[in-house]
Amino acid sequence: MTDDVVDVLIIGAGASGASVAWSLADTRMRIVCMEQGDWTNPSEYPTTAANWESQAYGPYNINPNVRGRDTDYPINNDESAVAVVNFNGVGGSTILYGAHFPRLHPSDFKVKSLDGVAEDWPIDYATLEPYFAQNDRVMGVSGLSGDPMYPPKQPPLPPLPMGLVGETLARGFNKLGWHWWPSDSAIISQPYEGRDKCLNLGPCLSACAQGGKSSTDITYWPEAIRRGVELRTRCRVREITVNEQGFADGVVYYNADGEECYQRAEVVVMACNGVGTPRILLNSTSARFPDGLANRSGMVGKNLMFHPVGFVQGVFEERLDSHKGPQACCILSKEFYESDTTRGFVRGYNMQITRGSGPLNTAMAGYTQGTIPWGPGHHEAFRKRFDHVAAIGIIGEDLPEEHNTVTLDTELTDSDGVPSPKITYRYSDNSLKMIEHGLARGEEAMQAAGAVEITKAGPLRDTGWHLLGTARMGNDPETSVVNHWGRSHDVKNLFIVDGSIFVTGGGVNPASTIQACALYIADTMKKNLANLFD
Amino acid sequence: MSDIIGSDHPFNQPQQKTLAAVLDTLVPASEDGQMPSATEVDFDQYLRTQGEIALPLIEAVLEQLDNTFAEQSLEERCAQLQAYSEADPLNFQQVLTHVYDAYYQDDRVRVAIGMIKGPVFPQGNEVMAGDLSLLDPVINNSEQHQYRKV
Repeated sequence: MTDDVVDVLIIGAGASGASVAWSLADTRMRIVCMEQGDWTNPSEYPTTAANWESQAYGPYNINPNVRGRDTDYPINNDESAVAVVNFNGVGGSTILYGAHFPRLHPSDFKVKSLDGVAEDWPIDYATLEPYFAQNDRVMGVSGLSGDPMYPPKQPPLPPLPMGLVGETLARGFNKLGWHWWPSDSAIISQPYEGRDKCLNLGPCLSACAQGGKSSTDITYWPEAIRRGVELRTRCRVREITVNEQGFADGVVYYNADGEECYQRAEVVVMACNGVGTPRILLNSTSARFPDGLANRSGMVGKNLMFHPVGFVQGVFEERLDSHKGPQACCILSKEFYESDTTRGFVRGYNMQITRGSGPLNTAMAGYTQGTIPWGPGHHEAFRKRFDHVAAIGIIGEDLPEEHNTVTLDTELTDSDGVPSPKITYRYSDNSLKMIEHGLARGEEAMQAAGAVEITKAGPLRDTGWHLLGTARMGNDPETSVVNHWGRSHDVKNLFIVDGSIFVTGGGVNPASTIQACALYIADTMKKNLANLFD
Repeated sequence: MSDIIGSDHPFNQPQQKTLAAVLDTLVPASEDGQMPSATEVDFDQYLRTQGEIALPLIEAVLEQLDNTFAEQSLEERCAQLQAYSEADPLNFQQVLTHVYDAYYQDDRVRVAIGMIKGPVFPQGNEVMAGDLSLLDPVINNSEQHQYRKV
């Protein structure tokens, strides 16, 4: 294999890896993507069985440490206020994500200029706008144009049904005079590109057997493969190697049998997101890069951002059919998204209306909260809550701080012996104040909507979906890892296209922006093929 | 001729009797008769599929309960299970999860709480579109709800 050289080697087949592979396929270069996980089979997804809820406690758990597949890598969260959740396989975390698909706002790219905090991105919303739109078309995004909280945009599909949950909260927001809008969702509301529409199964976070949810295994990948991209599963990259000139020249990886292999490459593209990417870079040490590849700035693994998350649940007297419909996608409110220093914190948060759970989760949540007892009284309490709830997720902006890090654990490894990531993370005072404010406003919204019982919690621990900032982009090689189009400052044929390049995180789910960035970087690579390494 | 009748049930007769009483205590039938008790769903079938995980957990509960548990009043059984839940909260919670998991998979129970029978796929659910005219106040007030210009 050592004589076999591919033109482009992409590491990771999730949201960003799929997007960049699809776009670069235009070039007819020889492109190989290595993914440590497998293809997943929708006919085996939880909703095809009666025990779909309990499967989410085990083989389809969002936490890799609980899920424990040999295609996962364990993560040391002991020193982190947030536990990382993800999925490893073709499609990456889009297999289990909620598919709530808002874009970052124009202001999110300029927080230093506007609010004097963190750093501005070296690119802006206008730069990414065509790639947001392209990504919406390929993924299949449902939504409603006209939201005044965004520049004009046109989702390709009409919005998902609001249902009684959405209507109830919308009336509450209207009473308060607050903004709300149907969510942009990577779930198809109508048949689209050979896929049948969403069936309102409910538990999108347990993968979508219908294929109505736009995970990249059923959107980007089939087309990328048809156009010649080679996708190799069960290939776990341990490190990227460099030649004497300081260029990346290949990767060491383990195949499905655990055998160490080597693949040469002219260009390497990292697409493992904000924990997986710094893990591999930090594990790729050499005489030239003793602190990890592309890490002369010392910024690899630093500035880890999640989004602090709070949760407000309301119980309503009337039945809301809460278990029906995409759980995480309904309506949202941007009333508190932009900075207002009178609130006592900078930046802001998104209010994401979510639907209810199935009966097992309802009963167990009721038990742990003390609202649904076992024994006599169970049925009465259960009836009052099951299908009678709506919730508001408070998703706040998390500003970058160098002490929040991904490093290599000195003891924990994956099944191939590759060091596991260790997360060190604590909330800032700003984040805590933001969540406190959001929980209070969420309670207000629930009261306005008519909830008869309200519970609040947050910031929550098992919410580390959004893994951002650990190899950030910037114009200054001293303070950033990649330039404004994702190319490493230190290694001219190494690109990073995932959430680790985010300079700041905004206050929304980042998948849409991650993919727009990947498409933008791929397009810029294509425009600069003749002098890609200059 | 032997009078021993073979059984593939993982628990002996006294244990089965106690387990049935535990199930009935955790999820009794509803007074209006709409909801069955947990003994009326096929918990044995559940154990056949989930037994590897569930059996040791349940066994641990049964070992802690009085031999006369099944003969006790509901109040006494509740008191015993409450005491156990405080002595070993993790195991109790895991057992409760299995009991609820089995219970809420039962088609009679699902229909009674307004769900479809069996797996949710491929049948799916109907969800009302919702009234988009509710957006009128937001649209009419869009000057106050503008994105921040850069």
